[in-house]
Amino acid sequence: MNSHTQSDLTVVRWQRGVPVFGVPIVNKNFLFLASIAIAGSALVIYREVAGLGAATGLSDGFPWGIWKTFNVMTLTALGSGSFPIGIAAWIFRKRRLHAVMRVTLLISFLVYFTGLLAIAVDVSRPWNVYNLLSVYRWNTISPMWEVLWCMPLYCLFPLFLENTPPVLEQWWYFFPPGRGLVVWLVPIIRKTYPYVVALAYTLPILHQSALGALMLLTGNQVFPLWQTPMLPLLYVWAAAFIGVATTICSVLLCCLTWKRPIDQSIMDELVQLMSWLIFPWLALRLLDIAVRGRFTLMFTGGWLSVIFWLEMLSIFVPAFYLRRQKYRHHPYLLFRNCLLIVAGGMLYRFSPTTFAYRPWRVGIVAYYTPTVIEIIISLSFICTCICLFLIAVKRLPILPAPLQQWYESESYYRNFYPYIQMSGYGKDQHRPSYAD
Amino acid sequence: MNVTRRDLLKIGTLGGAGVAVGGAIGSSAQEEVPTPPRNAVGMLYDSTKCIGCKSCVVACADANGLQPDTRVDSLHQAPNDLNSFTKNIIKLYKPKYGDGATFAFVKRQCMHCVDPFCVAACPFHALEKDKVTGVVSWTPDKCIGCRYCQLACPYQIPKFDWDSFNAKIVKCEFCKERLAAGKEPACTYVCPPKAVIFGRRDLLLREAHRRIQEHPDKYFENRVYGEREAGGTQVLYLSAVNFDLLGLPHLSSTEHPSNWLRWEERVLKFFALPVGIYVGMVTFLKQNFREHEAEMDEEHKKTGLMPQL
Repeated sequence: MNSHTQSDLTVVRWQRGVPVFGVPIVNKNFLFLASIAIAGSALVIYREVAGLGAATGLSDGFPWGIWKTFNVMTLTALGSGSFPIGIAAWIFRKRRLHAVMRVTLLISFLVYFTGLLAIAVDVSRPWNVYNLLSVYRWNTISPMWEVLWCMPLYCLFPLFLENTPPVLEQWWYFFPPGRGLVVWLVPIIRKTYPYVVALAYTLPILHQSALGALMLLTGNQVFPLWQTPMLPLLYVWAAAFIGVATTICSVLLCCLTWKRPIDQSIMDELVQLMSWLIFPWLALRLLDIAVRGRFTLMFTGGWLSVIFWLEMLSIFVPAFYLRRQKYRHHPYLLFRNCLLIVAGGMLYRFSPTTFAYRPWRVGIVAYYTPTVIEIIISLSFICTCICLFLIAVKRLPILPAPLQQWYESESYYRNFYPYIQMSGYGKDQHRPSYAD
Repeated sequence: MNVTRRDLLKIGTLGGAGVAVGGAIGSSAQEEVPTPPRNAVGMLYDSTKCIGCKSCVVACADANGLQPDTRVDSLHQAPNDLNSFTKNIIKLYKPKYGDGATFAFVKRQCMHCVDPFCVAACPFHALEKDKVTGVVSWTPDKCIGCRYCQLACPYQIPKFDWDSFNAKIVKCEFCKERLAAGKEPACTYVCPPKAVIFGRRDLLLREAHRRIQEHPDKYFENRVYGEREAGGTQVLYLSAVNFDLLGLPHLSSTEHPSNWLRWEERVLKFFALPVGIYVGMVTFLKQNFREHEAEMDEEHKKTGLMPQL
């Protein structure tokens, strides 16, 4: 049979990560993001010198601000896509999901990296972090200890190593002196890969649940709709589906921005994975509230009830609609619904730390409104993350594409970058010797 | 070892069921009540005896070398709450028209809980409970300044030095230097009407119950605040007005940190579950990775492009 039928040409299959070529890194939007990032880092210096009181809206009544509650506890959920997708791909053998692994790993790394920066700016005695290494000072029961150990370990060890293959690949093609190193490193990476990857799935389960456990110790200061002994489980579970939804959103956005073809079968599989996670989560949350006998609070809690329904509905309604093919196969509808799920999930992760956190007090009322400085620093972490993402996808083979696009990128680099011709790119069939 | 997906599901379900059953058994068993050290020190504050002279506030600042807090009123030392300059404060409850209560003073400082939230929260034991006296104190070179103790404390006690780049956690440490020198804390030492007294916690508890028995209708609910609240505290309160009005929150005896964290303790016992998950995942990954690798190399032979992991 002739394989080049009409349907074969229209169905897109992502086969390979290909850098976004022919687009300059620095443009107007990039400069805008970078300027916020730079303004933020200047303000970080002010915060370190002047102290937290001058730079933030925090007080003794409300000791945790958006750097912790938003940049760390909420945004790291967006970077958690790599563990549900990875587990589905490697353990439940959803082989096609390997195509988006590089994107989701990159997002994870950048989000966690900027999250770590946020913690470093937020803690006011960072020079004492060396205590992580003094075993006799560990308070292993503290969820904070678990977070402080797990998050840097996850980001700087398994996640970092998982992100090295695109860089090595780039070296192989564009940096001939580095080829010896690549040939030496790749077999080692392949041997150790299963051990590292398994660690990359165990650690996020641990610290994402510990982030939920952080709020457990505040006891009944958190409104009962959110405060439950199940909070760690709900937190890690929410992180899983928020991460998948974020991956869908960012891949779609990249494809639409740089006019790349979309592989619908992989999108379907991601949506399926997401709904497998979302519906049991919703059921568990309602069941937990019912078991604790707090059912009426869903309607009598004033504006906290409104937030509760906003969370539940902005997760349930899009997930429900995405069961229909019409909604999945329309890029705009898919994007919009996944964005709603991300927003609802973020609200769920954020509420118990801020809206629903009502410290018990008499007379003196502590309100928390983030200052402009605080917001700019918080935004600067996000902008740093996006800037690094833009640089990475334009220089490294990360975003998935059909094989055809790889050959196009090859001819593009051959014609527009003469120094690459000098490096021998395209002459030796790019055949790495270690694989023979 | 050849493990199929069916096996994985089986193992997962069995493990999950095991954890669930274990948890159910654990939670139905008698709740553990924390016990204070045998010689735990304590304070008993009787709000009905307090005359509001604030001698204790001055004595506390003097004994702990605290700077006078003149931020509210530049003439007087008049802090409006516990803060980074104030480890001990006297507050006044003024009755509203028609709520039936009389006015009352209340002395606020660290409660030195039997099972403290701040100690459970602190990642590096910067806040520690003394094994002999039960005093909760702060060590500067273990503290990273995460302020989790402030978030966790139900009494809103640990205060933070917001205006410094080398910030400190400030809270009552029961005048531990004076205790070590064989003296009682400064506040109990100076109190003119002996509204706050120092002693062993068990003896003070007995004294409080004696006072309640002597004057059966004098004290609110004939109750000693701190006997059972959040697993008990070493600072005890007697009052004629509702404790809620004095800013002492209503906490049940089971609301202590080891109870809130019981699930984490069970799940992370000996780190068995995480290690189990890790080992299980490695087993499956190795098998699936080999297949993936073979497929990758085949692709490489076909296209001549570098295999992408």
